[in-house]
Amino acid sequence: MPSDREIDGGEGQTDASPMTPEAVNAETSDEELRTSGAAVPADAARRPRRNPLFGTGVSLYPLDDEADEPEDWYSRDVTADLDTLTEAKCSLVRLFVGWRVLEPQVGQYDAEILGRLSELVKSVDERGMQSIVCFFADDRHADLASVPWGARRDPRIDPYLLQREAAVIAQVVSALHGSAGLFAWQLGDEAFLSGFTTAEDLAAWAGQLREAIREHDPARPIGLGADVETFFRSSGIDMRALAESFEFSVAHATSAYRAYASQGPLTSVNSSYLEPFLLRCAPAGKPVLLDETGPLSLEYSAGEEAQALRVALWSAICNGASGVMARRLRDMRTERREPYFLDPFETLVGVLDDEGEAKPAFDELATFIATSAVLDLRAYTPLPERAAVLMPAERYEPLPSLAGLYAPRACLQAFVTAKRAQVPVKVVHEGEELREYRLIAVPSAFRLEDGTWSQLAEFVQAGGTVLYSYGGGELAKESAGLFGVEFVGDGGPRRSFECRVAQQRLLGDLENFDSLLELPAYALVTPSTATVVATDATGNPLLTVNQVGQGRAVFVSVPLERAVAQGDPWAAPHPVLALLRELYGSSARAAGCAAPFECDTPEVEVTLFSGDTDDVIVLINHSPERVLAGMSTNHPVASISDIRGGAEVPVGGKAFGVPLGAGGVSALRLTYE
Amino acid sequence: MSAASAQLFLAEGLARQNRVAEAVEACYEVLRLDDSEPLAHALLADLLLAGDFYEEAIGAAALAIELDVDCTPAYLALGLAYDRRGGMWDRSVLVWHELAEVAPELVTAHVQLGEALAASAFEEEAIAAWRKALELDPRQARAMYDLAVAALKREGMATALPGFRKAGELDPSQDDFFFGLAGVGSGGDEMPRAEDVEPDRFSRLAAAYSLARADDLFGAADMIRLLLSDKPDDAEALALAGFLYLKQEASNEAMAVALRALAIDPKTPTAVYVLGSSFTRRRGLGKSASRVFGALAKAVPDQPMSHVLHAEALLGVQRYADAKVSYLRAVQLDPTLVRARFGLAAVLLTEGEHALAAHEITRAAYYDTRREGLFMCLYEDYARGREQSAE
Repeated sequence: MPSDREIDGGEGQTDASPMTPEAVNAETSDEELRTSGAAVPADAARRPRRNPLFGTGVSLYPLDDEADEPEDWYSRDVTADLDTLTEAKCSLVRLFVGWRVLEPQVGQYDAEILGRLSELVKSVDERGMQSIVCFFADDRHADLASVPWGARRDPRIDPYLLQREAAVIAQVVSALHGSAGLFAWQLGDEAFLSGFTTAEDLAAWAGQLREAIREHDPARPIGLGADVETFFRSSGIDMRALAESFEFSVAHATSAYRAYASQGPLTSVNSSYLEPFLLRCAPAGKPVLLDETGPLSLEYSAGEEAQALRVALWSAICNGASGVMARRLRDMRTERREPYFLDPFETLVGVLDDEGEAKPAFDELATFIATSAVLDLRAYTPLPERAAVLMPAERYEPLPSLAGLYAPRACLQAFVTAKRAQVPVKVVHEGEELREYRLIAVPSAFRLEDGTWSQLAEFVQAGGTVLYSYGGGELAKESAGLFGVEFVGDGGPRRSFECRVAQQRLLGDLENFDSLLELPAYALVTPSTATVVATDATGNPLLTVNQVGQGRAVFVSVPLERAVAQGDPWAAPHPVLALLRELYGSSARAAGCAAPFECDTPEVEVTLFSGDTDDVIVLINHSPERVLAGMSTNHPVASISDIRGGAEVPVGGKAFGVPLGAGGVSALRLTYE
Repeated sequence: MSAASAQLFLAEGLARQNRVAEAVEACYEVLRLDDSEPLAHALLADLLLAGDFYEEAIGAAALAIELDVDCTPAYLALGLAYDRRGGMWDRSVLVWHELAEVAPELVTAHVQLGEALAASAFEEEAIAAWRKALELDPRQARAMYDLAVAALKREGMATALPGFRKAGELDPSQDDFFFGLAGVGSGGDEMPRAEDVEPDRFSRLAAAYSLARADDLFGAADMIRLLLSDKPDDAEALALAGFLYLKQEASNEAMAVALRALAIDPKTPTAVYVLGSSFTRRRGLGKSASRVFGALAKAVPDQPMSHVLHAEALLGVQRYADAKVSYLRAVQLDPTLVRARFGLAAVLLTEGEHALAAHEITRAAYYDTRREGLFMCLYEDYARGREQSAE
């Protein structure tokens, strides 16, 4: 790679710690390369079967038939299922402890069940995979987190049941902790954990059971089975601090969260960005497992399911995940009834049908494992994300404040916009350290905490860029110096949005336009030290830039991200989306945190993995249409080739095009002149 | 008036002004004073629904119904929240069924019930619900669109197309489009009287448009006759005459006067509209209709209805991919255009994109119900009913 490129390789991959602790057997297989139609290179024989630094797996639920009883816990022969996973080169399998069958009477443990669990873990190990053993999940069918003698007491808060839970954990952990094929422990899943009503109860439960594991297994990773963002939405409990006390965390988009944040089909608009967004919302500095991805309901065609899974898998590896788990292996065999309704616990739909036949989604999983195996994450590091979307603290405010409801949507829209502008981006929560970033976007916040304004002022003084869009109401007095404007008042809602460019090139190539967009507020400001870059049709400043110290502060007078997110994202006016993209892109370029390439197709997310002599780029098409992504790089590209091998295609220039199908993904190796 | 009632009055006023955040706060204030007030819960549900916060809306509406099982506005909010949330069709069917029982004359309840049933794959029951809606209101465009979509799913576009056309004719927005092309505003309530109209072209034409807009077709025709007696080559008057013929199902006459108008002035958009519309009503002229509406879409590209009409003509000649582009353009220009959403859903169904089509229908339903302002009507009726029973 050319030495003068603006890439700080030293800080790359800060949160992509591997989910597979062992260097997975780098066995040789070129079968998938042959079947994919790509020419098999001479060194294919030395290639790994799967990525040793990126675990991929599936949850193997105890029951696959609605007619089964909880007592049928893993009573079926799972050999065929495990063989199928082995063939797909999966590295992780999640198994579920059934409390009801393990402790049928108080203090009496069923040795046969314990033995069966050990056998399962061993079978997984023998096939070169590793297990995540999950305690106290709620799959709705197998009574995994309840006992008949519990007398309807709540296992989350009842002190006696809590003691029994710790004892059952002790039994399992002491029996299994010596197993080489055991990778990690997991406490609860979101269905179970969302039954907690207070953060204190959750912390007490998690703390006590974590201790119970640690008594017998001091080293193996433990995770809590809920996504911090979706969990807050479903339970109102902020578990960020608790999640940080575990060795890994999970991110997943529940159907309820999907309906809240990005409604509509899985395969287009903002939906396909939801999982990467949630990955970025997870506690920083810990490995994050993109969990429960894949088919969610029977609402979608097999093709759509496969497309959604493909985008999710590649988005995971491109957005800092350490591994990925599909929701379920086999479809639950249900009673023959129409129609299918949403499964509230989201455990009915798998990547195989109920006969064990592979669906297109399973083929996608296998293809992903084979292809991503070739991406050596030790040799190629993703560009460091120096831009972040600030999730305001008001997000955690309860009703009647609507800020808690608006903020995640606005932040998701900001995240998507950054992606559309090809800006490597993270999500940072208000109050967290900002020094590692060059650009902070604050999308449509009503109010920031007192200390945040001084933090932002210091950040800009030190050379950072703040891109702030007004959220409505009173603008904090502390912001006047930062943005160089005097706030006069809120002009109130508007039904149309006009842009008249006053200063070209200060914030990229902007264009004049008039469009229909419901704006909930409009900040009326008079510039003091700021330069007005654009106004509305009547001359009110719309975009201003203020140079402060070594950095700059960009002020947008309207809650643009919220307006787009709250409007119909399927019909957001093109000029508005283009304005947003240009704002984010130009701010990132000016702040020195843009990617060293451009892509002319906003719907295509491009991630660059930087190597010593060459690079790998992964292009993900988030649109449901076929596109030709026009790429241009800072340095002349000598050739491109599929990372799985195949002939090198000479480029000899800075521009080339990559055709992508609907939801298509392409992983290419770039060599430079 | 109690403090809670006064606060509720304030919340209602704020909601009517679309000041959502303040209205939500006012609702919470009501509930702090009296948490057993179903109207406050129902209003809160509607406000949360307006922000697409479905889970919260479901919670608030369910509480309102728990407090009073006859709280019709809460049923509406609950049903809409279930529908828009998606994947909860079983509950949605129950709610709409309940509302249709509580308010049997409420057309929207039957339309929504049909849509929930269709989403649950109960096609026969869905069709029965839409037919019931059309019995109650024969001008229910959305029920007609739904029936057309059902026909499309079962028998294909050839059977569905007349349904889409019929729905389009029921849709008042097409007439608005014509008057928009003519540069005529919505006008006032006062109808012009023939004897009061000044005998000049401008006054007569304005009066003719006003009368046509008010569905006084004969009055408008008389006015046009006077105009054309003075100046037979008035393209605009001829185009309006064509529109009046169209309204009376006289396609041939409409076609003739539109052609005459265009021969006089080929840049008369109202005449282009009349010509295209008359072509669509005649068998075998689908290709001509698509060309004429294509020209209209080019002439007024910022008018979403021009793209819808072009798309519908393209559907008629089975150019689905082109129709999709036009529908998408229309939706881009006006996301609330129910007709474009339904048309787009139809095209998506022909492409096998069922999930995307279902989404378009959901969005169409969302905008249609919002446009009707039904919640506030039910809210007022319910509040009035409570007051009367209290007296």
